[in-house]
Amino acid sequence: MTQSTYNKGDVISGAVLAALGVYIITEARNWSFTSSEGPGPAFFPIWYGVAMVVLSLLLVAGSVLRPSVNKGTAPTNWQGIGRALTVWAAFAASVALLNVIGFLMSFALLTLFIMVVMYGRPLKQSVIAAVGNAVGFYLVFVLALGLSLPVGPLGF
Amino acid sequence: MEALLGLAQGFAVALQPMNLFWCFVGVFLGTVIGVLPGLGPAATIAMLLPLTYSMPPTSAVIMLAGIYYGAKYGGSTTAILLNVPGESASVVTCLDGYQMARKGRGGAALGIAAISSFVAGTVGVVGLMLLAPPLAKFALTFSSPEYFALMSLGLAMVVLLAGASMIKALLAMLVGLWIASMGIDLFSDASRFTFGTTHLLDGIDFVIVAIGVFALGEVLGNMEKRGQGTLLPVPKGLRNLLPTMAELKACRFAFVNGSVIGFIIGVLPGAGSTIASFISYGVEKAVSRHPEKFGTGVPEGVAAPEGANNSETGGSLVPLLTLGIPGSGTTAILLAAFILWGLRPGPLMIQDNPELFWGLVASMYVGNVMLLVLNLPLIPLFAQILKIRDYLLYPIIFGISLIGVYTVSGSLFDCAMLAVFGLLGYLMRRLDYPSAPLILGLVLGDSMERALRQSLMMSSGDLSILVSRPISATMLILAVVLLFLPLFRKANTWRIKALEENG
Amino acid sequence: MKFRSSLVIAACAAALAAAPAWAQFKPTKTVEFIVHTGPGGGADVLARFMSQVIEKENLAPVRFQVNNKSGGGGLTAMAYVAEKKGDTHAIAVFTGNWLTNPLTRAEAKYTIKDMSPVVRLVLEPALIAVKADAPYKTLKDFIDEAKAKPKSLKQSGGSVTSRDNVVRQLLMKATGADWAYISFPGGGERIAALLGGHVNMMIVEPQEAGEHIKGGNMRVIAQVSDKRLPGFPNVPTVQEAGFNIPNVEQVRGIVMPPGVAPDVVAYYEDLFLRLTKTTTWKKYLDEQQFQDGYMKSAELTKFFDSYTDQMRGILKEAGAKVVR
Repeated sequence: MTQSTYNKGDVISGAVLAALGVYIITEARNWSFTSSEGPGPAFFPIWYGVAMVVLSLLLVAGSVLRPSVNKGTAPTNWQGIGRALTVWAAFAASVALLNVIGFLMSFALLTLFIMVVMYGRPLKQSVIAAVGNAVGFYLVFVLALGLSLPVGPLGF
Repeated sequence: MEALLGLAQGFAVALQPMNLFWCFVGVFLGTVIGVLPGLGPAATIAMLLPLTYSMPPTSAVIMLAGIYYGAKYGGSTTAILLNVPGESASVVTCLDGYQMARKGRGGAALGIAAISSFVAGTVGVVGLMLLAPPLAKFALTFSSPEYFALMSLGLAMVVLLAGASMIKALLAMLVGLWIASMGIDLFSDASRFTFGTTHLLDGIDFVIVAIGVFALGEVLGNMEKRGQGTLLPVPKGLRNLLPTMAELKACRFAFVNGSVIGFIIGVLPGAGSTIASFISYGVEKAVSRHPEKFGTGVPEGVAAPEGANNSETGGSLVPLLTLGIPGSGTTAILLAAFILWGLRPGPLMIQDNPELFWGLVASMYVGNVMLLVLNLPLIPLFAQILKIRDYLLYPIIFGISLIGVYTVSGSLFDCAMLAVFGLLGYLMRRLDYPSAPLILGLVLGDSMERALRQSLMMSSGDLSILVSRPISATMLILAVVLLFLPLFRKANTWRIKALEENG
Repeated sequence: MKFRSSLVIAACAAALAAAPAWAQFKPTKTVEFIVHTGPGGGADVLARFMSQVIEKENLAPVRFQVNNKSGGGGLTAMAYVAEKKGDTHAIAVFTGNWLTNPLTRAEAKYTIKDMSPVVRLVLEPALIAVKADAPYKTLKDFIDEAKAKPKSLKQSGGSVTSRDNVVRQLLMKATGADWAYISFPGGGERIAALLGGHVNMMIVEPQEAGEHIKGGNMRVIAQVSDKRLPGFPNVPTVQEAGFNIPNVEQVRGIVMPPGVAPDVVAYYEDLFLRLTKTTTWKKYLDEQQFQDGYMKSAELTKFFDSYTDQMRGILKEAGAKVVR
């Protein structure tokens, strides 16, 4: 007896996309569909909005009504997903800090975080690598190429 | 023949030591800049423009053309090794190029890219030289209905990029179309999907989406496995770093495909190298004997788009030099440069300034050779990048991506968008949504909508304009055929199965 | 190759702020030259050229460094300038867009009145052109045919708020004619549409069309300008051709952030006056077929007001949503 599981990922993403489609159609109603001069700004959005709703509902329906036998057996690797999302959060934080502590510091901290927290490298090695990365980037991008990067309170 | 005489004259100019030097400077700089995601040839040329004021115009033109070419070569290096598209057209190279690198054929991929670029670039220059005036006339017959058909053909390629789930590929494409329409609508001045902020008035730059979804999505995906940081296998020995004869043989058609398609699309003002790369890739996959292998690392999947990318350069110079019409952002800046030096590209340019035109053409040949010579020996060096341990490499990729995006606009909002698209890329990976259709929709959506609306304005609302003109009708029919291709294939398999069952 | 990087010297800002008001202002560090386009855009090319000239002719004791603040349809650069209150080392190139964008964009936070006008520099005239083998020899020919066959003739141009469309709206209102307007994002595409016979007429800048006119592919039937351009002595202006519409100028000039002292503005007024007197500049104007439109800050303020009022009226009539 095969497990009748459905692919939760497909269902949720399908639902989200259907919602997006509805949002697009709602927004598009504020603009003109056609005008005397041809199709208006709402023309294309309504078409792809509707297509989005239809296809995503098809996706959800297909997933629920035709459960795939094998997909259910492999357990979702929540730990792995957690790791990936943690790194993403670190990256997002480094972007937020760009104007606060400057690009080089931000980048060094990100390197440090990834090496120590994600890969468990020894602290000393990680600090050296972080500083090395920052210095390397400074030499290549700021000095050699003359690009201007966000700077922090220390001027770099 | 007049062309050969002109070319001889041109080589006399291009091979002067001074101009050789500037050509080298140009291709070298271009390659370096091209490696950086975000900084494209347009920005580089604009930044270096002031330096050229003190140079003789011919040398300056030669250097700028070198930069244009070099940037295209450079963009493919990071695409293949790190899945970071150096410029918009390199996105297609990421599809198979990066997969080749993962299989240990990174050096070979770089080599194929270089060789294909050389072949196609040369073909492009030959085309420019011999076919410029008649092609220019052809380009003028192309207008909005034809562009719409071309874009439709491009979008129909999604069928070929789909992979396992067609629905998911189509959904990804639709999201791409949505992102493409963010911003100010050209025809009505309405702001669409800007969420009330000025940052989105110009839409979201393609580079941000491409780097986020491809590069960052990949890095985040790899982060799931702890410490199993697998090093990408780098084969030892020079022999193994370059493409094998078998691989090169597989690319035979791709070289032709890339050269021709890239050049023709380049000639059309406004079409661009990204579309050329996609269509060339799509065509290659369509005629291949093993289409299901595309996306897993087949050499012709690298050769076709890389070729198209480079011969597009030659093609885009056709309208610029013969008509004075810039076909893309980069050629627009070249045009501005020409005018600043008091040169006037246009119908009279070949007559009035033959030494400039032929000098430029000859130096493009020279540039192509220089790039090949420069890049092939550097491959082992580049391949060493793959040896960097991932705990060091991934932060570097984050850093390069961030810099790439920041230098485009200096906007923190864009950097935040990069993070958003990185997350999206990761989610798409996890949920099995293919990312190429998203990019396809993003690139083509805008142009396609514009072309459609322009066409309908031209015909005052009459839809038949799209099918009454021969060129656009042909392409639309091709697009429809492409869209139904999977159904044909399925029907064929059923038919074969039925035949087998009946004995 | 050495690149000149823009060095931000944080310490100087404090020192400068302390400069006594009665002293003659002189810049003491690199001046930031803000433009609203990316590298290669119209304003960017102009700013880079001016920086070159200033450096070559030693018109200022410091360098001018172009800073591209593209995005937001031009509003990003405007916001950037408006928020740099009191910065005496920041100037920006303004174009007609800076005046009209805030009128239709609710998202705009600042208008041109939030900045300090410095000088107006150039006026960009335009030409009304048709394909060489078209049957229109004068503007009147075109308008007559447009009146006879409403909505059948087509014009290629930029966005609906660009000068191309403004002139079209004014002409249509004054004559009762009606013809379609098709937007193309790039000048190259507009010209290609005309030369390929897909549209009937376009309004184009002289330097964009110059070669095509010389080569005999395009014919100019009128010019949008106060007085006839030296390159086109035999082509009537729109007013001379009998169409009494106001001449909406396409302008470029310099503005600064708000809150700068009058002597600072006076310094830059004088700097750019000396710029316009150089032969390099005059040659540039000739080549680009611009007209000198030098105007100091006092007159410029009045120009801003009259221009904005005029555009507001035109936009409203054309049916655009005006929010200010």
